Amino acid sequence: MNIRGVFIEDTFAEAFTMRVARLVITGRNLRWAREAALKLTGFATSVIGCKCEAGIERELAPAETPDGRPGLSVLLMTMSKDDLPKRLIERVGQTVLTCPTTACYDGLPDAPDRVGVGSALRFFGDGFQASKVIGGERFWRIPVMEGEFLVQEKFGMVKGVGGGNFLMLARSADEALAAAEAAVEAMSSRTGVILPFPGGVVRSGSKVGSRRIKSMIASTNDAFCPTLRAITRSELPDGINSVLEIVINGTDAESIAGAMRAGIDAACREGIVSITAGNYGGKLGPHHFHLRKIMAGDTPA
Amino acid sequence: MSDGIVARLRASLDRPADFGEVLAGDWGAATAAELARRPVLVTGNGAASLGDLFEVKGSPAGRIRLQGDLSNATRLGAGLAGGEVIVEGSVGADAGLGMSGGTIDIRGDAGPRAGGAAPEARRGMTGGELIVRGNAGAEAGSRMRRGLLAVGGDTAPLAGVGTLAGTIVVMGDAGASAGLWSKRGTIVALGKVAIPSTYRYACTYRPTILRLTLARLGKRFGLGVEDRHVSGLYHRYSGDLADLGKGEILAWTAA
Repeated sequence: MNIRGVFIEDTFAEAFTMRVARLVITGRNLRWAREAALKLTGFATSVIGCKCEAGIERELAPAETPDGRPGLSVLLMTMSKDDLPKRLIERVGQTVLTCPTTACYDGLPDAPDRVGVGSALRFFGDGFQASKVIGGERFWRIPVMEGEFLVQEKFGMVKGVGGGNFLMLARSADEALAAAEAAVEAMSSRTGVILPFPGGVVRSGSKVGSRRIKSMIASTNDAFCPTLRAITRSELPDGINSVLEIVINGTDAESIAGAMRAGIDAACREGIVSITAGNYGGKLGPHHFHLRKIMAGDTPA
Repeated sequence: MSDGIVARLRASLDRPADFGEVLAGDWGAATAAELARRPVLVTGNGAASLGDLFEVKGSPAGRIRLQGDLSNATRLGAGLAGGEVIVEGSVGADAGLGMSGGTIDIRGDAGPRAGGAAPEARRGMTGGELIVRGNAGAEAGSRMRRGLLAVGGDTAPLAGVGTLAGTIVVMGDAGASAGLWSKRGTIVALGKVAIPSTYRYACTYRPTILRLTLARLGKRFGLGVEDRHVSGLYHRYSGDLADLGKGEILAWTAA
């Protein structure tokens, strides 16, 4: 398959089932909601080192938020359901509670699985906290020096998908970056999707394990490193001098496939030779995103 | 979807009648005929049934609409645990007394102790939402423990007296001694309110929780919530300091 001269490899991205929460962060204005969201989603690129993966899903207009203020929706994902409340409590407590004017609400109100967040953070109020039930949902008012921090007691948790990906093999680093930027632009602000890496882009794709250190669970993907072409079993065709990857997590496989379709299409531009994807032979992750099927418009199983 | 049960008053209620049993228990699945058999105690006339006083029609859907002037109806929705009750007119004393769930939407005025506590009870309403679009009589929400009571008009004296928790929103003016002896309750005063001497001013701020509360009243019940109240500043007074003192009066201020 070729798209505007870019070869689409006959391969697939292999992704995993994760647990997801959607947080709605509001603020006096978008600036402060974003400040909290950026801090909350910071250092949350990969569960390998960050214990969770998180990203801003999209901006929310005042009419879309519970308190009628501007806001952002954020997806936070973990590998296990036991980890999700821990990460939520840590991150909401350290980054939203601390941020001026913000409040934090559940963005998955229909999810039957609920995890306590406000119910744990309330103890910061040292007995001065108060709760209110509105429309059947409990909210905690935690007194802070600025005024009050409002946080919902419980957040919904659903199964999601983490690890959708594609790699752009480029003639030069500049062209790889330009393609990645175009792809991220096309994939941003889509409901149900986040790109957890910096600017949505990964330059350091990894392989499972290490050649030298047994305790390492991941190390550099030497087969795709241009500088190692001469000394390792390289997967790179001639003329490739830079590779960038985009990792896509989401609430469901269909949302990820839709984002991949938009991203790959945008990345098919001058300087990109081919687009491929990372997998582990299909034995580890239950979700397989076949690049050619996605670009043909098929919905993943 | 069914519109639920509609009960239309056959003739005016000219003397007080106790409706406390009409919506007791699990009434939401009761048919029109079953609800029509529920007892109403009419002062001076003894026991009657709802069907004697009302033409009861419709099919069960967890919702009942009562039509007619029920100013003499007492204890309507007392102990309500669920479902939706709409009263297209005014009601008498003790509406929603000790209710624990569901909603009561009174399109007119309510008599004394709406959402409050029976004389022998320690707690008033413990859950649900009680909307009075007109004015509310004395001791509205007395000894309330949880839930939301919203009054579109004014409240007579002693609204929220002895509240244990819960929220009372007064969109008009609050009568004297609102929140007296409150332990933890919240009184939101959008109009005039006289702060009891046992409350103490804390600060002036924008409580985010009120944005949710007022949005709920606007979207769910169609109450005329004004943006100046949603986004405005409120004086916070803590009290009743003669009791636990964890209650509050949030008084909207134009300043």
